[in-house]
Amino acid sequence: MQVELKDIGKKYEGRENFTLRHIDLLIEEQSFCVILGPSGCGKSTLLRMIAGLNSITEGELIFNGKLMNKVPPKDRDIAMVFQSYALYPHMSVYDNMAFSLSLRKEPKEVIRERVLEAAEILQITEYLYNKPSDISGGQRQRVALGRAMVRKPRVFLMDEPLSNLDAKLREHMRVELVRLHKNLETTTIYVTHDQTEAMTMADMIVLMNDGKIMQQGTPEEFYHHPENLFVAGFIGSPTMNIYPGAIKDGAFHSSGGALVVEPSEKDAQALAPYEGKEVHMGIRSERILSGVEEKNTFQAEVDVIEMLGKEKLLNCKLQDGSDIVISVPGYFEYAVDEVHNFHFDLDALHFFDSETTERIGS
Amino acid sequence: MKKKKEGLYLSDRPPLSPLGKVLLVLSYVVLAIWSIVILWPLSQMVISSVNGTQTKNITMGRRFAFSLKHFEYLFNETNFLLWVRNTLFIAVATALLTLVIVSFTGFAYSRYRFKGRRMSLLAIMLIQTIPTFAGITAFYTMHSIISGFAPFFTRQLLLIFIYAGGGIASNTFILKGYIDSVSTELDDAARIDGCSNMQVYRLIIMPIARPMLSIIALWSFIGPFMDYMLAAILLTNNESLTLAPGLFTLINDTRTMNQPAFAAGGLLTAIPIIILFIALQNQLVSGLAQGSVKG
Ligand SMILES: Nc1ncnc2c1ncn2[C@@H]1O[C@H](COP(=O)(O)OP(=O)(O)OP(=O)(O)O)[C@@H](O)[C@H]1O
Ligand SMILES: [Mg+2]
Repeated sequence: MQVELKDIGKKYEGRENFTLRHIDLLIEEQSFCVILGPSGCGKSTLLRMIAGLNSITEGELIFNGKLMNKVPPKDRDIAMVFQSYALYPHMSVYDNMAFSLSLRKEPKEVIRERVLEAAEILQITEYLYNKPSDISGGQRQRVALGRAMVRKPRVFLMDEPLSNLDAKLREHMRVELVRLHKNLETTTIYVTHDQTEAMTMADMIVLMNDGKIMQQGTPEEFYHHPENLFVAGFIGSPTMNIYPGAIKDGAFHSSGGALVVEPSEKDAQALAPYEGKEVHMGIRSERILSGVEEKNTFQAEVDVIEMLGKEKLLNCKLQDGSDIVISVPGYFEYAVDEVHNFHFDLDALHFFDSETTERIGS
Repeated sequence: MKKKKEGLYLSDRPPLSPLGKVLLVLSYVVLAIWSIVILWPLSQMVISSVNGTQTKNITMGRRFAFSLKHFEYLFNETNFLLWVRNTLFIAVATALLTLVIVSFTGFAYSRYRFKGRRMSLLAIMLIQTIPTFAGITAFYTMHSIISGFAPFFTRQLLLIFIYAGGGIASNTFILKGYIDSVSTELDDAARIDGCSNMQVYRLIIMPIARPMLSIIALWSFIGPFMDYMLAAILLTNNESLTLAPGLFTLINDTRTMNQPAFAAGGLLTAIPIIILFIALQNQLVSGLAQGSVKG
């Protein structure tokens, strides 16, 4: 089902300001849309409005061309997985999963068939007659998914469903969820504050901050073309190196003075109107190359080394004392306190207008 | 061979010091005295009620001869069975009424934000502090007005409303607190699954809050058994009395005086309450809310 949000806004009763405002979003049929953002930015609020659990203060929510603003949750043909799983503690796993169907007075055999089918897919057949309190966190999570699945909804809503699992299980469930989404082909809207989840699972990411959408697009677009400083700083681990500075004579001079970068032809064109103005320059750690080039070379002193296995993160200090993180392949040998020469991969520079924080160029 | 443990251990704590041992002995002594103070009159009551040699006034140190004649007297010569029926009727009705009302108020106060929520909660709490007895004239007037056009509104019905009404405020508070501890995500999940507001309560919240509801039911059920004053004042006809004032007629009125029968009646009164306790004991075990949300 296609989900469309038109200029959606939400103001909680008793609050002065809008928690969310001017949210425009088009979520395509069968896509896996991840709503990403720091804590408190209004992700859950948005999801709950789509679910019908919170009222919509302004704007229009449209499912497949039909206005949904006033439709109660049970008639929206959605299912939701909660962060706390919200399993009914007094019912067995089977009854939890069967609950929505039995409320709709489906025949017993149909219910049984659907529950068993979902249990089969999620591998929880063994626990069907246990109470939620008697199974592990990961299993509960599956039950919550199963409860959503048996209804065969047209939209899946998930609010940080993996945040209570340990790292290993989370990794596993990420893949599992993507696989599930492939099989079911249901439109999925998934809320998280974990950018790894967003990058690995999404067809489309919507990054929010402070009640506004910062950028929407594919994971690639997010990584390679952050549209503003917030996105650049939020997406990617380690965080992108970002330096304030100004354009002088077509070159970027960082405000500390340690970096002077002559941008590529393409960037230079886009930067032409910014001559003499303040801009931020960003570069990802893996796009910094070691060695000396005729231009744009800088020196950095290795401060701390983080060994991640396949790569090493060098936390370095520039000559003016500012930090830079450089990632190099794990087998390269570096030692703390050494000074090395590095230069930039000019195709990977990002420039942002310091005033508006918007991206310069494409 | 197992090494014998030195010292005296209480549960999983370090061994007791000499002072600790003295205190332990002391606390046992206190507990023993306490139970004697409680158990001795009780045992006297039980013994007297089956002692055939006791006459109208119970006197200590009489010869013991087992007999059920006091029970016979109770059943044949007094309105004891009527009193039991009245009390059961009032108690059951009170418990049911309390449960229904408190279910609504507790759920509403816990889950809904409405105008005057805080104020009304405060108000019923304040009104509660006025002793029920102070309203007795109001109850009289109310009763005479209502029974004027609705003759079926008996004094007993009035009593039910007073008992139920009296417990509403505190019970609402207790139930609200309990429901507050149940995650609202359960409500949300139930709503998405297709529950109406009533169904959210009936199918999800009520089963989870059952331990609390059982306690509330038990308290309101016991109330009419224990209350003497209101029943004695409002119910004037001997046939419509509840157990407490009914049995009281056996010890305060020289014409109907029969203390051993009073003891027998008191003994029998305990039975329905004990039955209820046993029936509810599984429900009273709480902890159902565990495992619903990841802890
Ligand atoms: N019921 C409510 N009444 C009033 N304000 C609320 C309510 N629920 C949330 N808010 C406010 O709305 C803002 C957004 O909350 P929301 O729960 O949507 O954040 P979130 O992005 O989901 O954060 P998190 O990642 O921590 O879950 C917060 O400032 C919060 O205080
Ligand atoms: Mg949230």
